[in-house]
Amino acid sequence: MSTVPPLARAYEALRPKMLERMLDLRSTLDASLARLDERTARAQVDAVLEHLGNFITTGDLRLHRAFLQTFLAMRTAEAQSPAAVLATLVAIGDAAAQVAQDEGAGSAEGPELTLLLTRVTASTARALNDLIAEELESRRRSWRDLTHRSRARS
Amino acid sequence: MTAPALRIAGDTHVGKVRTTNEDSLIVEPRHGLYAVLDGMGGANAGDVASRTARDAIRDFVLARRGTLAPRPLLEKAIVAGGTAVHTSAQTHREHHGMGTTVVACLIADGRAVIGHVGDSRAYLLRDGRLQALTRDHTIVEELVGRGLLAADEAERHPYKNVLSRNLGARPETRVDLLELVMRAGDRILLCSDGLYGYASAEAIQYLLGSGDAPDHVCRDLIELALRGGGGDNVSTIVIEAPAPPKTSTQVVRTNGATAWWQKRQRFVAIAKERGLTKNPIVRGLDPKEALELVASSLCEAVFHDLEKSTGVNVWTFAQNLAGGWFVRGGDWAAVRGMIDILGASARAVVDEIRAGDRQLGFLLDVAVSRALVVAELALGGLLAERLRQVDTDLIELVSLTDRIERLPEEALYGTEGTDTTERFVERPTIPFLRPDRAVTNPGVSAAVLDGVHKALTIARARTSPRADLVKQVLVALDAISTEGGEDFSTAVLSARELYGVRAIDDAGIMPLFDALDQARIITASSVHQLKATEAGRARILRAISTAHQRLVGATTGLVLEAIAPFSQRLREAQAVTSQVRDAVAKAERQRADLERRFATIVDPNLPWSARGTTEW
Repeated sequence: MSTVPPLARAYEALRPKMLERMLDLRSTLDASLARLDERTARAQVDAVLEHLGNFITTGDLRLHRAFLQTFLAMRTAEAQSPAAVLATLVAIGDAAAQVAQDEGAGSAEGPELTLLLTRVTASTARALNDLIAEELESRRRSWRDLTHRSRARS
Repeated sequence: MTAPALRIAGDTHVGKVRTTNEDSLIVEPRHGLYAVLDGMGGANAGDVASRTARDAIRDFVLARRGTLAPRPLLEKAIVAGGTAVHTSAQTHREHHGMGTTVVACLIADGRAVIGHVGDSRAYLLRDGRLQALTRDHTIVEELVGRGLLAADEAERHPYKNVLSRNLGARPETRVDLLELVMRAGDRILLCSDGLYGYASAEAIQYLLGSGDAPDHVCRDLIELALRGGGGDNVSTIVIEAPAPPKTSTQVVRTNGATAWWQKRQRFVAIAKERGLTKNPIVRGLDPKEALELVASSLCEAVFHDLEKSTGVNVWTFAQNLAGGWFVRGGDWAAVRGMIDILGASARAVVDEIRAGDRQLGFLLDVAVSRALVVAELALGGLLAERLRQVDTDLIELVSLTDRIERLPEEALYGTEGTDTTERFVERPTIPFLRPDRAVTNPGVSAAVLDGVHKALTIARARTSPRADLVKQVLVALDAISTEGGEDFSTAVLSARELYGVRAIDDAGIMPLFDALDQARIITASSVHQLKATEAGRARILRAISTAHQRLVGATTGLVLEAIAPFSQRLREAQAVTSQVRDAVAKAERQRADLERRFATIVDPNLPWSARGTTEW
């Protein structure tokens, strides 16, 4: 007997359609995705969708946060602002919820999956904001230290 | 060619700064033709340019619509518009240099053909998502397209508004075209830069995605641009394909808004119970006032967003809530706590509604969760902006600190004393690599040292005769291990010897690190050839590894020390580049201004080629 929760199974069943929808919308999801070739863009979006599937299955916020930390670092290295990264992840979450709503209208899990994906997007946005805030605080600390040292020297 | 089922509206506004409106519109529902044109050029030539192009495009479409397919028809019409502007500019001296942008849409048989030149834009709202249909013809955008400039840099580039193409600069213009099949519910927005230059894409998306009629949307979009500063003329056209029949979901959603509003007092009461009035953001306020300002405002914002299927009200609420708090130096924790209280209160209310009407409660649950996402998006924007500001401050401060730190040396020896000809190996090492620093694990037995010596001898014998650098590394490892390790001096001295006069800007570094790596591999396999017990071999290998680590650490320290002055110079160069870029931008503006003036005083009898041009 499968131990995978029914909503996680429903999500996995819809994942290919979600991927196709996101590839159709990729120029609005993320400017950097729009510049990538089809294969690379597909791989990148699918990686996010796969992670969302894992999060739905495990509900492990620590793993989710670790994934977001890596995602944010990679996108920042590509000169994207944290706000753009946040917008991208929310857009992906929205598109996934939209597909769940459209495709699962007649099924028992469809509406629940839509609600779950919307809540996952809210958790994602919150976790990413926490990361940005921590980064902000760390820079402020550096600024205070440097100011203090600079004053001491002068 | 007619499209009777479409709902269309267009509007234009002079803005808050300009005195004349140089934008023109075409709204011809009977012929399915719509366009926004944004004129440019001194001495009121901008409005002449946009009107000339507008008339030419419209006349061309009306005259040729029976003879050409929509795509070539629109392309040729826009080219004709450009030719008309160019001809007028050549004929009238005071119009020289004028031009106009255009974004036009021709709708026929359920298909939309979009053509554009310049930086007026077309957007498509489909399935709730805003998608840009055009790419600006600006120099900066073309650099981005060729991968020579990052999208983020483009936003701040001084030439971001300089057009690479417009109607009127040349007798014939290349037009970018695209075609799409319109779906039920689609909305196409045509606009001038006076809109998107003063309003965020998110806000545009929310307004365009609201259930309001196109004329209301046009008015709201213009209002949005005016609130954003209104520094330019602003024009919008909204074309809406017939929406699908209202679904039961939408009907329930309207009921949801009502149900939500009926629970507003309950929402405020729950927020109070959960400690809203104790949050630092509202400290100092009367509790009643705090509840009114925060809880009631959010409740109202959610209600309006539910009514219109948008998120703009919650977005604005979140920005207002956190914006002022951050400006006062407030922290994220307080905002996070406040949003948690409001979110939990909203969910509690939704649960109560769900108990009475499961379907309605479910839909409200999705909507409220979505509202929380919108709030987080708005807060993320504020946090990211503050992060950017702190980054900028930090870079400035680091540059300043470095300059202060360099002052005594420069004062003593002059700046020539710190030039690149000085060998860095002759300068003091960075603190953690000072030779007098004590090591943590000094001393090995004589038997182990003997084993180390033998292993390194075997390794040297196995090394290729031409691999001098590897041999030198092995000799250094021998010296570091043999000395017993009272301190790091042997490692540092060996590293300096190996490093020698290697430059960091050629292949000098990599062979050294390759040699260190090869020495490690050869040594490890040589240890296995020793006649010793397994435990003895392990001790020997550990001693060599310790020596190897010290040598690698010392070498890395030297490399770091070598690049430190370069990174400082890089920061200084970046600061200078920024100043130069500003100066160039200023000079370009002055040049353009002078050329414009020159164009009006030059002898009209001269041939055109002798008068110069102000066009890009």
